[in-house]
Amino acid sequence: MKWKNSLCSFIFLTAIPSAACLAQVPADSTAADSALLKQIEQQMQTATQPAAQPQQNRSALSFNPDIGVIGDFQGSYISKGNRNFNAYLNETEVSLQAAVDPYIRADFFLSFARDPETGKYGAEVEEGYLTTLSLPAKLQLKVGKFREAVGRINPTHPHALPFIDLPNAYVNYFGDEGLNDEGASLSWLVPNKKFYQELVFQATSGQSESPTFFRGDNNRFIYLGHLKNFFTLSDNSTLELGLTGITGPNDSSRTTSIAAADLTYKWKPVQMNTYKSITWQSEFYYGHANLLDNFSINSIGLYSFLQYQLAKRWFLTGRYDYAQKPFNKTVVEQAYSLTAGWYATEFSKIELEGKATDNNIENRFYQAWLRWIFVIGAHGAHQY
Amino acid sequence: MITLIFCLCTLLCTHAGTIKVVTTIPDLKSIAEFVGGNKVSVTSIATGYQNPHFVDPKPSYIIGLSNADLFVTVGLDLEIGWSPQLLASSRNTKIQKGAPGYVDASAGIGLLQVPTSANRAEGDIHIYGNPHYWLDPLNGKVIGRNIANGLERVDPSNKSTYEANLQAFYKKIDDKMREWQSKMAAFKGTKIIAYHNEWVYFETRFGLNIVDFMEPKPGIPPSPSQLVKVIKEIKANNIKVIISSPYFTTSSSDVVSKQTGAKELTLATSVGGFESVKNYFDLFDYDITQLTATLK
Repeated sequence: MKWKNSLCSFIFLTAIPSAACLAQVPADSTAADSALLKQIEQQMQTATQPAAQPQQNRSALSFNPDIGVIGDFQGSYISKGNRNFNAYLNETEVSLQAAVDPYIRADFFLSFARDPETGKYGAEVEEGYLTTLSLPAKLQLKVGKFREAVGRINPTHPHALPFIDLPNAYVNYFGDEGLNDEGASLSWLVPNKKFYQELVFQATSGQSESPTFFRGDNNRFIYLGHLKNFFTLSDNSTLELGLTGITGPNDSSRTTSIAAADLTYKWKPVQMNTYKSITWQSEFYYGHANLLDNFSINSIGLYSFLQYQLAKRWFLTGRYDYAQKPFNKTVVEQAYSLTAGWYATEFSKIELEGKATDNNIENRFYQAWLRWIFVIGAHGAHQY
Repeated sequence: MITLIFCLCTLLCTHAGTIKVVTTIPDLKSIAEFVGGNKVSVTSIATGYQNPHFVDPKPSYIIGLSNADLFVTVGLDLEIGWSPQLLASSRNTKIQKGAPGYVDASAGIGLLQVPTSANRAEGDIHIYGNPHYWLDPLNGKVIGRNIANGLERVDPSNKSTYEANLQAFYKKIDDKMREWQSKMAAFKGTKIIAYHNEWVYFETRFGLNIVDFMEPKPGIPPSPSQLVKVIKEIKANNIKVIISSPYFTTSSSDVVSKQTGAKELTLATSVGGFESVKNYFDLFDYDITQLTATLK
């Protein structure tokens, strides 16, 4: 038997002059390995397939940051008022991201957006911050202007959300731009081996455009604490529970505090994760605004959406909003919306949203949006 | 005496506990286990039956990364959508790019399909070259060398063990290559269709000829016009098989198969792609057995 094997091997080796299987790779030298492998490859391949030479892209060898540009074109309709239809380049976002040195990295998101009131375009720094790479004790520090760690919607750039308008309750508390402020953020990866836990503390100046907080003529800042808990329920499903507390000065020079909770369940089968998925995400807000001596308003708001992926490129998202106005809790809004999304590739998607809003001071009104998001340049990180 | 000193030194220098290795895909895990032997404990973020381009960056993966001594990546932007952010969130300085515990397994690989220009109109192309290089067993040796280099950087005291394991791994690859080559020799030049452009290293090593893909461009789902084109090509060339991977739907291959009689064959692209594919050698055993049985 043994001689048969040897004979077979011999015949085989003679017949195929590859000798690939006899490659003796010298120790400790990847370069030599590679050279040898290339030599073997050349021996094996006929002239039809010239061996490719490793090449470096020129831009990869420069110190330019990763650059990406995101276009967000929208058309909109509203059933009330006289100007019902509109079309506009809602936002152009330029991202510049790179490591600064071995200790920190930098991320800039410059936004060229249209002011809905004047129709004029203006440039602003949507985010611009550094993140440390080498703090001890599982700590990470972020310094600059950043979207704050309130639940799931606030840290996400609007073009990455599965709907076009923002939930009413969220806008009531944090505005169209979200809580996006200047300061510092320290996060700690809790050494919990059972499930992922991250504790974030942020202190910011209060200069942001949020309707809740206001930077007065004094030294009072906004403080935020967020605890993120992430559980792996099975290979295919996960649950995230976040708790947030925010406190800061309001425009009455008194204090407004917001407590928020977010709960997200995701089902995404590992094997077919690009074809089907379900996400159920909800956030609840409780606001306590102290506006005068012995006068404060407690208000609540929430949204809940269910996203269903029908096929590789098709997503359907239904959302319910409930919101008490933080300045007058007797005004209550309820809204229902449905968004259909067609994700052509990772770099472009088209979405259509319809929304009906009820409140107790005017008649029901309807809105619709169509947006086309398109991205060029660096490949962004996927969200989870 | 020398032996005694050597033994003492080995004892004293031995790392307390095992070296914790986290790899992005299970093929790297398997090779790391061959090279690391009992000195390492290895986990892989992705499973073998999921698309390595689109792994969901679940925060739970950060727990393993934050405690890892060595991180091994395929590189060439294969994992660009998910591994960089997991790595950045790990707060583990030992495994960041450029640190001793970071291993890019692609170092020294003879790359194929390196584009001369980067243009997304061509679909999901990879500017550094096709990243599915582990599907050539000889590239497995380069991966093994890179992993051994990494292990020796973070755990120099066990260098001799890693080198010995690596040599044993090389030998096993050489032995198995004889077997695989002889099985595939009869099918040199055989034309086949593939779903996604991820087989070029396998194709090149074993002398197959992938004529076209179900995807009109990498990452773009099969279109009706592409299916028509593929059906014509299968008929014209008498192609017997369409190879695919566990993470693609079979609906479009079904259509083509029905029209032409070509067989759909889902092969393992990674260790763990199927129950029986438990290590890097099983991967080629499985694929080659399946292919040769179908092409016969």
